[in-house]
Amino acid sequence: MEKRVYIAGLGIISPLGEGLAATEEALRDNRSAIRPLDLFPLLHGEPLPTGQVRGLAEQSDLPRTHRLALNAARQAMASANTPPDAIILGNTTGGILTTEALLRAKADNKELYRYHGLNSVAEYLAQELGCCGMAMTVSTACSSGAVAIALALEMLRRGKAKAVLAGGVDSLCRLTYFGFHSLQLVDRQGCHPLDADRHGMAVAEGAAMLLLTTEKPARPLAELLGAGLSCDAYHPAAPHPEGRGALRAMQAALADAGLNPTEISYINLHGTGTPENDLAEAKAVRTLFAAPPPLSSIKGATGHSLAASGAIEAVVAAIAVAKDFLPANTGCRNPDPALGLTPLRQPTNQATTAVLSNSFGFGGNNGCLVIAKADRFPPPSPKHGKAGLAIHGYACLTGAGDTAATLTLLAQGLPVAGTADLAGISANLPPNLVRRLKRLPRLTLSLALSAHQDSGFEAKPGAIFMGTGWGALSETHDFLTRLADSGEQFPSPTDFVGSVHNGPAGQTAILFGASGANITASGGDYSFEQALFAADLMLEEGQKSALVLGADEGHPVLSPLLDPSIAPDTLLADGGGGFCLSRKTAGAQCLVRIPFYQRSAAEGGIKALIDALGGAQTLNGKYALLLAGIPAAVREEGEGQLAEFLAQSGLQAPVIRYREFTGEFASASAVAAVMAASFLASGKVPGLLVSGDDLALAGKKNAILVLGLGRYLSAMKFSRP
Amino acid sequence: MNKLTAELKVKIIDILNLQDLSPENFDENDRLVGGALGIDSIDVLEMVVMVERDYGVVINSQEVGEKIFSSLASLAEYIKENTPGSSP
Repeated sequence: MEKRVYIAGLGIISPLGEGLAATEEALRDNRSAIRPLDLFPLLHGEPLPTGQVRGLAEQSDLPRTHRLALNAARQAMASANTPPDAIILGNTTGGILTTEALLRAKADNKELYRYHGLNSVAEYLAQELGCCGMAMTVSTACSSGAVAIALALEMLRRGKAKAVLAGGVDSLCRLTYFGFHSLQLVDRQGCHPLDADRHGMAVAEGAAMLLLTTEKPARPLAELLGAGLSCDAYHPAAPHPEGRGALRAMQAALADAGLNPTEISYINLHGTGTPENDLAEAKAVRTLFAAPPPLSSIKGATGHSLAASGAIEAVVAAIAVAKDFLPANTGCRNPDPALGLTPLRQPTNQATTAVLSNSFGFGGNNGCLVIAKADRFPPPSPKHGKAGLAIHGYACLTGAGDTAATLTLLAQGLPVAGTADLAGISANLPPNLVRRLKRLPRLTLSLALSAHQDSGFEAKPGAIFMGTGWGALSETHDFLTRLADSGEQFPSPTDFVGSVHNGPAGQTAILFGASGANITASGGDYSFEQALFAADLMLEEGQKSALVLGADEGHPVLSPLLDPSIAPDTLLADGGGGFCLSRKTAGAQCLVRIPFYQRSAAEGGIKALIDALGGAQTLNGKYALLLAGIPAAVREEGEGQLAEFLAQSGLQAPVIRYREFTGEFASASAVAAVMAASFLASGKVPGLLVSGDDLALAGKKNAILVLGLGRYLSAMKFSRP
Repeated sequence: MNKLTAELKVKIIDILNLQDLSPENFDENDRLVGGALGIDSIDVLEMVVMVERDYGVVINSQEVGEKIFSSLASLAEYIKENTPGSSP
């Protein structure tokens, strides 16, 4: 059955102000909020123009990002009586503004770093709002907010939730302020998108949230009609010069919404103000629209708030259809004739039924949304079949080495924890391809190549889904260290580009020419589960295969500070796992589903988990093995949950606490998932792992359960095709 | 000039991690950006930082940058001409 997705609530805090009214007023005034930075002191030179949020209440030790996000979330939830079923938040830098100060002060109390992780923002919102479902974090650079909303749309259409709070947030920080400057992408004169004399963007901050529901609210603000994702698969930081990825994402969004280009009343451009982005986007727009509708970029007013921008502009799109009002292309004095576009020079009152909102980011990561007047267009037709994914190839990397080396040690009942040397990880990677890449992208590319090779597929994968708890720690550490050591004078552009969480997935897309959806999720110890969940939402029947990857690097300085499960004396471990999968079960090695993901604080969580797995009887009849993920930081809580699960379900299957073998790292569950797949492929679980004889995975009792325990409860089910 | 050229070869191989290249087989007249070495805009910016840090020579526009970095020889020439305190 088709489902309409309504916008029931909106929240926004940006350099333009706080709330819908202030935002609309600033847009009607065609006013730029871009001013020289004064959020943090600089050691040298004049501060660059930025889009800074003014007047955000200072309170507590919470990072700015968390406060921005909660502000927007509370606005969006103002008229809702119940918490959302899930939260999906786009974010690129978490609490890094706070982390930067801590690192400079050489603070070594890891408690202080507890809000560093990207996932900490969404989980903080979940806690404050009482949301018991999934708190998912999407990190696809500057398209994060739009991609988060696209995922929420699919979650609602598939009936996995009735109300989802989705959006994006980022705060200004040294990493992005100096990073974009090091790429010479910042305009010293402010930001003038589409102008003939434009020289770049203004780094900004903000947050915006949309409460999306399938139950029609009394007064829906607008309808989220469609979304389209794509990847340039071209370059880590520059857009495809012809805007090919941008075009594909816009086409996909229109197709998803069931609209023709002529039905779009207004395009809210990505329009960052960099020469390359605006030109590539203009080419794509002119290819798709014979006669483009009114269009503008608001980034001359707001600046570019990175992960927040897609959500902020979705809110502006909703204002446009709700108020029949189109914002101007603030800051554009002389439109660049090379673009062939006529941006709106003045705010305009005009009947507006459907808006296309564009967001493009590093890694060639594109997300476009279509927001329309509620019930104005026919509901999009449903297009998806059943849930569940078919695994055709798998690979893992651990301290022991590659898949074969890892499985050999595990078969002997031996641990595989540790950090493999970089040369070994890179053995299957062309040296020229990886010369600029540090540990995490190499781990990822190696996993991607091996998983695809194991599938035996000649065709390359079309979509990439990646989970990483902490992202590229080497690049982040090296960028901040060199920034500080050089007195803020010589930050590394290479490290900045490499530091984004979606860098590895972007590199993987380039390697395979994978131009479909490219989503990086960062959910702490549940990052791989989130990537798998995203793949299950977005992968369609008949599409090319996809890669689902999970990896984290063990960094000697940052891992013990940031990861609560890693103490200074913990053996540093890292690695990950990956699958090449599709919807096609024929010829598959095994099947995977993710039937459960919920906050463990929710009442009756264990019972709900057992119910989601089909009840105690089904559990006992089906599952031969349980792989339990209990991060060290939540050992007591996790053990308690496991005991309760076993007691309530009466499950008799052997239990492997997989972190005892993989070591402590956020993506350890990806290795556990590969263990499960390999056991199913070989038809047995090695006896030395279950302190007995080899366990045959035969008959009806042939499924493996991988549980994530701790702050969240998650379940992955692996079974025979 | 020869000393500067030799120095730049070592630095560029190092900062761009050009493992297949040694200073001996690095021809300063070969195309640097967009050539067989696979050097792109991010590498250019990394070299811009190095030139400013190590030689005090500022290159602040991508357009100018692309000309200067067309070959190692032209980069060396530019550094020589623009080094603070040096006579043109």
